[in-house]
Amino acid sequence: MFGALYAAAGSDQAQLVEAAREFSPRIDVCGPREITLDLSGLTRLFGDARTIAGELRRTAADRGLQVRVAIAGSRTAARLLVRHRAGLTIVDPGDDAAALAPLPLELLLAVRSGGPSGPPGPDADNGNAEICASFRRWGLHTLGEVAALPPADVAARLGQAGVQWQRLARGDDPAPLVPAVPAERFEQALDLDWPIDGLEPLSFVLGRLMDPLSAHLERRDRGAAVLHVRLHLVSKAVHERSLELPVPMRDARTLRTLVLLDLESHPPAAAIDRVVVAVDPTPARVLQYSLLTRPLPSPEQVSTLMARLDALMGEGRCGAPALIDSWRPGAFSMAPFAPLEAPSGGREGGEGGEGKALVVALRRYRHAVPARVLVEDGRPARVTTERRGISGGRVEKSAGPWRTSGEWWLADGGTDNPWDRDEWDVTVSDGATYRLFRERDANAWFIDGVLD
Amino acid sequence: MANIALAVLESALRDKKLDRTLTTALPPMEQPADACAQTGIAAVDACLRNGVPRGQLSELTGPRSAGSTTLLLQTMATATQRGELVALVDTFDRLDVASMAAAGADLGRVLWVRGQVGGPAEWAIDRAIKALNLVLQAGGFGLVAIDLADVPGAMLRRIPFTTWLRVQRAVEGRDTACVLVAPEPIARSAGGLTLTLTGRTSWTGSSARPRVAGAELNMRVVSPRRRVDGEVAMSASSYVAAGL
Repeated sequence: MFGALYAAAGSDQAQLVEAAREFSPRIDVCGPREITLDLSGLTRLFGDARTIAGELRRTAADRGLQVRVAIAGSRTAARLLVRHRAGLTIVDPGDDAAALAPLPLELLLAVRSGGPSGPPGPDADNGNAEICASFRRWGLHTLGEVAALPPADVAARLGQAGVQWQRLARGDDPAPLVPAVPAERFEQALDLDWPIDGLEPLSFVLGRLMDPLSAHLERRDRGAAVLHVRLHLVSKAVHERSLELPVPMRDARTLRTLVLLDLESHPPAAAIDRVVVAVDPTPARVLQYSLLTRPLPSPEQVSTLMARLDALMGEGRCGAPALIDSWRPGAFSMAPFAPLEAPSGGREGGEGGEGKALVVALRRYRHAVPARVLVEDGRPARVTTERRGISGGRVEKSAGPWRTSGEWWLADGGTDNPWDRDEWDVTVSDGATYRLFRERDANAWFIDGVLD
Repeated sequence: MANIALAVLESALRDKKLDRTLTTALPPMEQPADACAQTGIAAVDACLRNGVPRGQLSELTGPRSAGSTTLLLQTMATATQRGELVALVDTFDRLDVASMAAAGADLGRVLWVRGQVGGPAEWAIDRAIKALNLVLQAGGFGLVAIDLADVPGAMLRRIPFTTWLRVQRAVEGRDTACVLVAPEPIARSAGGLTLTLTGRTSWTGSSARPRVAGAELNMRVVSPRRRVDGEVAMSASSYVAAGL
């Protein structure tokens, strides 16, 4: 036995869902104003179907909702009836087809477009309209007339979609009811008897909160996508931090470590009164390890390592290097370090190196070193610098100038940094080969790097 | 009689767990291919008997323009091509990303830890060594390198020797090859290699318009502790000469 609730326009869907949940956990939200629910077994609790319908209507009214109620042997029949008739509609067991027979054909359009699996796309809507029009052209106006057609002939003329229409017209359910699961909150909170100051005592509190949270996530086969920490301070302020995790994870120790490392960099301003930890859940990872490739560190290990390195070296100082599409000398960007599993057989690849050409590397001074350069006959003849560790000296050999400039067209923005320079490669008397450049605007020389 | 005495001695050493220290300190001549991280340069790998040993701290030393960075980036690139993860603790933020890409590295498999430039050098070195320890303890990397090539020798010698013992202990027994790049040998790990490079830039073109063709490098194994000895000459080409 199934029931359907159809609320008046402008009703609050959450209230409608709450009202339905008071009767059965097996409910299906079919649309913003429509819910079907499984009423099996409720007769022993409430009485007959009419009593149940009355209770449903009264409960909804208590929540300020005006609803139609229909109870029938199938969900489809209940939905068709609730859309057609106001008030309470009760169909005795086995009388679904008879109750549906006089209903207008167009009702099926509403049921098809707002089915349990959600509204189909516009193509499906067009297909439904075409089938409805076909039935109309055949002179059919009610569900009973459609239900009475020979199924084989309907299939021959309209295909499977026509057969599905006919089944709906008889009140048959296209699929079993899949109960809607209420949105679960993954949150733990702890009120502290005494305010705590400092991260060490907080780590114990976090450990106590993370363990049940992790167990909850594991029970639901979920992982944390975002971790929210709210610290209510004695100063009545709330210190909030949100950590976006690179992959779904639920290991309590890892989550605790990540929170602590983040709070080390962003400590609260006062002692803590209350700690709240919440996560945005996401489906957990499914991992398939390979016997043939080298195992990578788990995402939990990588996240913890990166958090520790960020705390040590400063944010944005650790990651994977990446080239960017620019002619600017030394241009690069930092990408998150999130290595992927190597393709199978990668361990054996890349070995040998018989034909590999060794390419001279440049050690680049991230901030170019100011230098004094003596120029003779248009070429650098001597390089000296104040920087300790760079010897400089007489230039033995030089190549250049290689002129390069760029981003002068963006210079008015203020944030961009145009460059216009002449580059030289010079070998000085101690054998080191430096890359120098002369800023053409300022006529100033710098050491850009050393070939090594 | 002598055989019996030897057997008794060996048994006593075994009981004290000193047998490995005294009798098998040197690695066997034949090692599995996986025990070393190949550099990708055939001559060097042949000389080093398959590359830089894993689970050990090795050193690349040499003056400026000797090719230490070139050899390091090549070794890292080869490791990434094998599908391994590599990490570079860049004490003074000297990495030229284009050079690493030119060496053929899969940049997505490189963890680059950039040191702060501008502060006191001691501070940067301290941070870098801590970062190196964090990376080694995390595990999962095929090659981890720390770049101390721009640290003056006097400052390097002020680093307590126990630091390198701790690094050696951190990497021991792991599948990670640890490489230290410095101007002179400082760690002198018993199980690792110390390689000294010398080199000079090679030039091409006319005398009026010369240009850098590459470098002639020479690598020598300084400490034949692993029954590895020898000297290898290599040629490296510049970006332009390599057609990159």
